Amino acid sequence: MPKIVKEVPLLNVQRELGGNVGEFAGWLTSMDYGNPLEEHVNTRTSVSVFDVSHMGRYVIKGKRVFEFLQKLVSKDLGDVGVGRMSGPVLLMNENAGIRDDIMLYNVGEDLWLAVVNAPNVEKDLEWMNAWRVKWGYTDVEIENVTLKSSLIAVQGPKAAEVMEGLGFGEAKDLKILEFAYGAEVTGRKTVLVSHSGWTGEEVRSFGFEIWTDVDHGAEILRKSVALGAKPAGLIARDTLRLEMGYLLIGQDMDENTNPIEARYWLPISLEKEDCVGCPKLREIYERGVSRIRVGLKLKKGLRIIPRHGTGIYAGNNLVGRVTSGAFSPYLNAGIAMGYVSVTHAYIGSRLDLDVRGGRQKAKIVDFPLI
Amino acid sequence: MGEQQIIVRTKLGEYLVRKDLLYTAKDEWVRIEGDVVTLGITDYAQKKLKYIVNVELPEVGKKVGVDDAVATLESVKAVAEVYTPVEGDVIEVNEELTEKPDLINTDPYGRGWIVKLRVSGIDKNKLLSPEDYADKISKE
Repeated sequence: MPKIVKEVPLLNVQRELGGNVGEFAGWLTSMDYGNPLEEHVNTRTSVSVFDVSHMGRYVIKGKRVFEFLQKLVSKDLGDVGVGRMSGPVLLMNENAGIRDDIMLYNVGEDLWLAVVNAPNVEKDLEWMNAWRVKWGYTDVEIENVTLKSSLIAVQGPKAAEVMEGLGFGEAKDLKILEFAYGAEVTGRKTVLVSHSGWTGEEVRSFGFEIWTDVDHGAEILRKSVALGAKPAGLIARDTLRLEMGYLLIGQDMDENTNPIEARYWLPISLEKEDCVGCPKLREIYERGVSRIRVGLKLKKGLRIIPRHGTGIYAGNNLVGRVTSGAFSPYLNAGIAMGYVSVTHAYIGSRLDLDVRGGRQKAKIVDFPLI
Repeated sequence: MGEQQIIVRTKLGEYLVRKDLLYTAKDEWVRIEGDVVTLGITDYAQKKLKYIVNVELPEVGKKVGVDDAVATLESVKAVAEVYTPVEGDVIEVNEELTEKPDLINTDPYGRGWIVKLRVSGIDKNKLLSPEDYADKISKE
């Protein structure tokens, strides 16, 4: 089957801003704008703007939409009020394997929105529709609006200033994971503006995401840059999330990974009984796991990046594998996350990484890595 | 300089190919001046690798054979070896890269050069002309 590569709707605007284009999850989008390390640091210290329109967006509506979603995902949605995002929730298979982590938005009783990961835009839709039909939620409709909308993330400690410049100064009053449905930005109506992101906003910075139509996204991207935000690409986004210990689907978790070994507590409610994968999740929790996700830090000043698949050793004993690695400009060190056997997961101890035939010491640390 | 380079445009981007250099199929460039060969990686290669954070250089005096790895580049995306298409002795390495590895990104054909070799002979059949190299990368 030929590989289908699509262009993100705002690719031309990215190019106009200096984007170096590459491929991610079947999309052509900007990997960086010249220097991803500077983009990373700028996001921690000032403000960056990311076009994250490659992420999937769905509109889910119908009278029983809450009931349907509640049965589908790992987390109890009962506490998610109107105007609030769920935080990450999981689509698990029946073995509690992670298919995707998605974000849900409670707009009102009949209307919820979802943002899903780029590699899974079609897959999640099929999965959700299969359960919808199986359970008989014929009144619930799921529409994929990815290609006719855009998602712009303004991230960093000065993000609120850019939002004010864009004409939506009220953004600063939004609580974390709160959104303003239909907010006006640059005098035009958006789908929503939320206080969220994936760069570590709750710890190290402050960020907003704007979901709007394609033309408006282009205007916001250009204006944010004119207002002093620096454009940033997917490489910086990846290194920022890794510093925070956020998991990337397909790389740090997949259908053969359960949330317990991934230590992905945020999106699960262990007491929840009735969801796809929930009974199995409870069983795994009670039984325990044999491997566990840990953070790893290499020696400061050493510019070595552990790669996905790198072996983790205790002496000659292979005890785990790296799933993501990066060079952290913030720490001036290589950082990684990976899974190690629970028999060797001692926080604070050092294990060896097999880097191109040589051994490099890495300290086991907890998340976030900064 | 405009007429001294070829600009290759693909759906992924634009790549410069200088007309005063020769190329390898593995995306290195070579400059031949008498018995001294300077080696670096092309604009195309640096754009594929993305931002380079570390360069491991060989020892001066090291003897290298055809297709030997002479340097290792660590970028945010991948690790890549730089291979020499010629046999020779390493007579100089670009020490500036130790402090500023990203010179390979910002000036791949200039300050981003990697090693200089003294060679006894060159088999030019192993090398690509600028036009052939441009043609190769245009098919990405």
